[in-house]
Amino acid sequence: MSVDAVSALGLSIRVAVVATLLNALLGIPLAYVLARRAFRGRALVDLLVTLPLVLPPTVTGYYLIVLLGRRGWLGAPVYALSGWSVAFTWYAAVIAATVMALPLLVRTARAAIESVDRELEKAAFTLGRSEWRTALEVTLPLARNGIIAGLVLAFARALGEFGATLMLAGNIPGKTTTVPLAIYTAVQTGEMGEAVVLVVALTALSCIVLVLAARLGARAA
Amino acid sequence: MSHRFSVEITKRLPGFTLDVAWTAGDGVAVLFGPSGAGKTLTLQCLAGLIRPDAGRIVVDDRVLFDATAGVDLRPQRRRVGYVFQGYALFPHLTVADNVGFGLRDRPRAERARRVAEVIERLGLRSLEQRYPRELSGGQRQRVALGRALAIDPALLLLDEPLSALDAPLRRALRDELREVLSGWGTAAVLVTHDFTEAYRLADRIVVYENGRVIQAAARAKLLWQPASEAVARIMGLRNVLHGSVVKAVPDRIQILWRGHMLEAVNSPTRSYLPPPESPIAFFIRPEYVRLIRKDRGAPDTTHHMNLMRGSVVGEADFGTVWSLRLRLDTPGVPAQGDFDLEVEVPHLVYEILEIERDRHWEFSIHRGSIHVLPT
Repeated sequence: MSVDAVSALGLSIRVAVVATLLNALLGIPLAYVLARRAFRGRALVDLLVTLPLVLPPTVTGYYLIVLLGRRGWLGAPVYALSGWSVAFTWYAAVIAATVMALPLLVRTARAAIESVDRELEKAAFTLGRSEWRTALEVTLPLARNGIIAGLVLAFARALGEFGATLMLAGNIPGKTTTVPLAIYTAVQTGEMGEAVVLVVALTALSCIVLVLAARLGARAA
Repeated sequence: MSHRFSVEITKRLPGFTLDVAWTAGDGVAVLFGPSGAGKTLTLQCLAGLIRPDAGRIVVDDRVLFDATAGVDLRPQRRRVGYVFQGYALFPHLTVADNVGFGLRDRPRAERARRVAEVIERLGLRSLEQRYPRELSGGQRQRVALGRALAIDPALLLLDEPLSALDAPLRRALRDELREVLSGWGTAAVLVTHDFTEAYRLADRIVVYENGRVIQAAARAKLLWQPASEAVARIMGLRNVLHGSVVKAVPDRIQILWRGHMLEAVNSPTRSYLPPPESPIAFFIRPEYVRLIRKDRGAPDTTHHMNLMRGSVVGEADFGTVWSLRLRLDTPGVPAQGDFDLEVEVPHLVYEILEIERDRHWEFSIHRGSIHVLPT
């Protein structure tokens, strides 16, 4: 394996792991709130979260540039203050992967949470539990399999992210070139050997994740 | 300790309005009525899971809800135990953890002691470490009861606690439930649409129909003196009949029905004095109609009141009793479709009297067995 391939593989794993953690942190509460709370703007939040699932990744990437780029709505003030921009850093790859993976986790986890019998939550309320503690002790543990499945999907999506990452993070070897980008570059430049190594590595990694997830799910059931 | 609670709530939902007021004290109050009458909704209001539009709920001098005073205790703070229809046991927790779920705030040692006590009292000792899916229906019911009772509730609510079980088990568990409830001494409100269940479990019965209370009374009083024909029908009473008043005095009432003059005992506590010729509803329990034996000579009219004659026009075997449909000899349209009275006789009587062969009978009804239903 070439130095670039090793670095791409390392970066991809790092990006996917961090993006999955961010997904868990953001996506699980979001899924809970969407499943269990009625609030103004719920439909809008749902739409925004789901949109990356249906839009072409490059379109999502474009929106991310508009938001976070050096001249973006959020990016410009940050750049003016600090002279730093998230664009074309590995953080950008994490953000792109997080946004792209979020709908998969939120939708799967939400469905799992919605399928938890509400009587169980009511029972917990009458037994003195606040809504917050009920979510932690009853709802989320019972939705555990669905949440794990959602996290696996999110991890896989983050690992394979291409379009949005290319838009926001670019394709800078050793810095933002993840495995899918490296495979694309290798094929474009005719380095088929390099491409095959990365393809096999990514396939193996995906298989390992799936097997681990199935084990985790079986233990939870 | 003596308990006292009062419920007065109004809740408007699309297409349904609950508007009820009743009180109860020690023992079990049963909310009885058809499905969709608002019984479960009442329980949810009591538990604080649904907020009524107006009214007041007081349990042992503690105000749980008062719309005008702006009091609405959260379910967490009501100390109301709730046994849900499907029991709602936490599937990911063991029996012991289910029972101890409401005791989280107590010190560890005390919590363990209380869980052990409840488990012992409900006979769940050997099942402590099992999960709900490994339990039978009856065991689940006991765990649900234990979980609700462990918090020492001021009021225990039970929503159709037996409906999740098969018929044979139901009867056994009904008696077990009765023992637990009376043994524990917690004031309880139980919802059911089965009258036998209501009668077996209740000290007091509150009859619901279409979002309203149509009668609230001690169970014996309800059985013998339903407040109205509507109550009688909901209770599933048979032979609810209509006649006209001939004469009503405080202890007797004479009724003209199907060409016969019937004499009935007037309501002993609440004399009902409708004017002559006014329509009147009454019911006759099928098991209280006496067929007169033909081998004992002519019937004695002082002994046999309200004598009538008729033929068996239909019958059904209910295992231990035969239900006969009698049609009076009197001309005219039968009172209940193609028959006038439903009569129940035990199998033995059916055989001794050879009813299978002999279809024409004289029968009598004691005046105490004709129950007048005030309108």
